[in-house]
Amino acid sequence: MGGRMNKAKITSVGIIVVLMALILAVQSGLFGNSAASSEEMKHYTASFLDIFDTKTDIVGYATNEAEFTKQADAIKERLVYYNNLYDIYNNYEGVNNIKTINEHAGQSPVKVDAAIIELLQYSKEMYELTGGRVNVAMGSVLSIWHEYREDGCENPERAKLPELSELQAAAEHTNIEDVVIDADAHTVYLADPKMSLDVGSIAKGYACQRVMDECRAKGMDHVLLSLGGNISGIGIRYDGSSFRVAIQNPDLDSEEEYIEKVDLEDGQCVVSSGDYQRYYVVDGKVYCHIINPDTLFPADTFAAVSIITKDSGKADALSTALYNMTLEEGQAFVASQDDVEAMWVYHDGTKVYSEHFQESTVK
Amino acid sequence: MKRNDVILIIAILLITFGFVIGTVIHNHKTSTEGGLAVVTVDGEEYGRYPLNQDVTVRIDLADGEYNVLTIADGEASMSEASCRDQICVHHFHIHYAGDTIVCLPHKVIVEIVGGEADDVDAATH
Repeated sequence: MGGRMNKAKITSVGIIVVLMALILAVQSGLFGNSAASSEEMKHYTASFLDIFDTKTDIVGYATNEAEFTKQADAIKERLVYYNNLYDIYNNYEGVNNIKTINEHAGQSPVKVDAAIIELLQYSKEMYELTGGRVNVAMGSVLSIWHEYREDGCENPERAKLPELSELQAAAEHTNIEDVVIDADAHTVYLADPKMSLDVGSIAKGYACQRVMDECRAKGMDHVLLSLGGNISGIGIRYDGSSFRVAIQNPDLDSEEEYIEKVDLEDGQCVVSSGDYQRYYVVDGKVYCHIINPDTLFPADTFAAVSIITKDSGKADALSTALYNMTLEEGQAFVASQDDVEAMWVYHDGTKVYSEHFQESTVK
Repeated sequence: MKRNDVILIIAILLITFGFVIGTVIHNHKTSTEGGLAVVTVDGEEYGRYPLNQDVTVRIDLADGEYNVLTIADGEASMSEASCRDQICVHHFHIHYAGDTIVCLPHKVIVEIVGGEADDVDAATH
């Protein structure tokens, strides 16, 4: 009799234990979704403020934070390398950079890293391609505007515009033919002593593309890099969907933060140029940081121009160039290029798309 | 099995289920309660402010420089700053997880952590 009692008790306890174990197992996700397995890829982001005088964001996937940090640090290290080479304001110990080239204008060729030679060759290509609408040899003009803009931001009530005569005198020293590149000797020489390089319209996008190419070659995948809004991806999201990029509304008073969202295919890049971030105000009128080489004054036709293409350096250069063109010139230019799409936004919010731009937009 | 055993099994099952449901509800509640605005200055965390509590925070920096963070209606914004470019002050209000406002001259970042997420990985500006 006693033996049977015991057996029943053991069965009961056994059932209870099994049920509890089952419930806890289900709750902690051991069944069905394999979320608890250690091999799962998680989504991470990292941001830096100390590269190219802008904000860098990296989006990626890894099984743990340490592994992602390793990826992000590898990307950052390469960005710092290009930052130091392409800097026009700071010197770095043991590095000849763009500033060094400017300091030796009219004096002597400067021996530089291949990454500088290639940037400047690329910049000349972009100059040719856009009929001079983006010119890295315009430092003499841009530095005048830079100074007036800085002063105008410090003391808004005393903000002034530079004299056209001063700008025209500086524009005498912007002939890109005077940027003499000797690829064999690894030197760059500015033949005009009053010339200076300003690579601000192209260097961020170009560096972004080089770093992503390097990372792709090293086998990285599912990574998105935003270097101050120059956005370039490797692959797509880990879940198989596209990386989604928002295009900021140039009207900062609007309730809508974004005017468009675009989904990027593998290798596609996007960037915007506009007058809503770096600018100053004189007598109630906004003067942005993008200077039209033809008028020597800030371009003001559009609030913003966005570009989608397969190279971040090209995207950067073309967004500046199109910002400086009329709509008709820009449309004709985009139509003549393979794989370049654009969206123009006027100050009243009107948007104009190139033929295939909306194939990327999120409906 | 005796009647008492059955009662015991049911009681334990109820308690376990109660516990499971309780933790699920708790987790759900904390994850949708709304995010935090996390302020960092030059990489160092300065403070965390829940988006569901309206507040104005003056962030005092070296040399008398400052930024003012305002949280209102579940959104964070930089309402004032002594920086030269005022990009942070002109930035739209943020509330989605991962959204940031950056004051580059002062190395101040306001980032939303937790709360509602949107579907965007990055933004042009």
